[in-house]
Amino acid sequence: MTTTVASTAPAATPTFVASGSALSLAGLLRSEWIKLRSVRSTIWSYATVIVISLLLALLMSSTLTLDGRQVAASDQASWMIQVSTFGIIFGQLIVAVLGVLSISGEYSTGMVRSSLTAVPRRLPVLAAKAIVLFVCTYIIGLVSIVGSYLVATPIMAGKGISASLTDPDLFLPLMSAALYLSLVAVFSLGLGTILRSSAGGIAAALGVILLLPTVLQLIPAEWVADMMPYILSNAGTDSFAMTGTMEPWQNILIVLGWVAVSLAGAAVLLKRRDA
Amino acid sequence: MIQAQSLTKRYGRKTAVDAVDFTVQPGRVTGFLGPNGAGKSTTMRMIVGLDRPSHGSVTVNGKMYREHKAPLREVGVLLDAKAIHTGRSAYNHLLAMAATHSIPASRVKEVIELTGLESVARKRVGGFSLGMGQRLGIAAALLGDPATLILDEPVNGLDPEGVQWVRNLVRHLAGEGRTILLSSHLMSEMAVTADHLIVLGRGRVIADAPVADLIGAATRKAVRVRTPYAPELAALFPGPDVSVTRSENDLLEIVGLSAAEIGNQAARAGIALHELTPISASLEEAYMALTQNDVEYRTGGSADDPAAEHRTADLQESVR
Repeated sequence: MTTTVASTAPAATPTFVASGSALSLAGLLRSEWIKLRSVRSTIWSYATVIVISLLLALLMSSTLTLDGRQVAASDQASWMIQVSTFGIIFGQLIVAVLGVLSISGEYSTGMVRSSLTAVPRRLPVLAAKAIVLFVCTYIIGLVSIVGSYLVATPIMAGKGISASLTDPDLFLPLMSAALYLSLVAVFSLGLGTILRSSAGGIAAALGVILLLPTVLQLIPAEWVADMMPYILSNAGTDSFAMTGTMEPWQNILIVLGWVAVSLAGAAVLLKRRDA
Repeated sequence: MIQAQSLTKRYGRKTAVDAVDFTVQPGRVTGFLGPNGAGKSTTMRMIVGLDRPSHGSVTVNGKMYREHKAPLREVGVLLDAKAIHTGRSAYNHLLAMAATHSIPASRVKEVIELTGLESVARKRVGGFSLGMGQRLGIAAALLGDPATLILDEPVNGLDPEGVQWVRNLVRHLAGEGRTILLSSHLMSEMAVTADHLIVLGRGRVIADAPVADLIGAATRKAVRVRTPYAPELAALFPGPDVSVTRSENDLLEIVGLSAAEIGNQAARAGIALHELTPISASLEEAYMALTQNDVEYRTGGSADDPAAEHRTADLQESVR
């Protein structure tokens, strides 16, 4: 082979050989972190989640009227959970949009071709995106929830309701709520990758979160009623609001199932399709 | 070095790239030429694994592109200027691309300076002109200091100074022993930039030759003669080596003799000449002739010119 090169190349220039650092998962995670923080939609989305959570905690705690009734000590943690996580019900819609946009924005602008040229095996891009989105959203969720708790605590104390953050009955559900929020973002990332469109991805994500439970409620069949706890948003809220019949870890497993299906579909299509 | 072996891409029933074989050698600039829709971009996308070949394969330095441990260091690619998120600044785009291969931020600054983007690096890419987008795309391609550079229409949208800059850049990089594949549909640009040409038409390789050979094959030495005594003049040159075509009443096109020889013979025979002009096909015309039958989107007109088809066949034969 070397001889043919030498005979056809115009001068005796030695062939340039590439050198230097290679592709790595750590580098890929840093790359996705730079991508996430350097677009405005991320900043706006996360800021909105935090602000809405704090405002709702303030609103809910200050408008709560007990008419002089005393709340039993065993119920106080449950009240604090409700006040602290109320914002997550709205926050899940915002992070769903963010999750879709984090990949559909690459498809709509053509950026995905740059990303996939840098990482031609493709799946590491999806993995790195999911990890970065999960961690960032988890932190934002935790900040929103703990912030809501701190905002509501003095107001609720005035009404005779209080719970300590170190109480596992309060602490664990709050962690679950943040976990659910970040899993919704990753679930939506998968949908965005499957549909490759911002409008389609957002419609699908909000459809699953908002519309699916509502529509199913309209069907009077018993088997439909049995399915309700397995719907993504029902399982998610059950995991921290203690409204369902299952254990929190079972609820989280159901949510993880939704995420797994979404990511698996995304992985197969990302690998197979032309970019 | 890039090697394609019976590389094929079909979209449904349409074949965009039809079993092409070619080798792009290091140390020189290889021009990838062809009309719109000839399959240049599709071929380039297959080289870097964005499109999966329907059949055949293409390797970069002996391996499939995706098998390389540091793809950005093997191949730098500019596919189109729009492969960049419009909401991100140029600096952050390059920083994110560099991070995948742990390329330091100092290299990002280097390519920004090299491409003259200092003043707009912190601005969002959405507001960039076509030319600035091209420069950013070239900056991204250079990030990994790659051994192979693939540029699809790099001078598209650049001002004359930018065109010259790209030309000097790729010639310099080829001089360092890198492999350069450059696409264009402009023959004139290729003539001054490339050492070697691969011409595609309707998904097939219709020429693969050094630029000089292509020019030689294309240059048809003819002399245009205008005289009121056209039949008499034509009768002076009966030989098999000389061909005379009469296109108008007083206009002849003579191939096989120099203008001086024609002038001398006409003077000896006492025939007055009103015009005696040597004509040679330009490279642009050669390219048009070469790709005449392979243009996918034609504006209409001389599609059924048998003479042109004949010339094309000759030319294609001579550059193979």
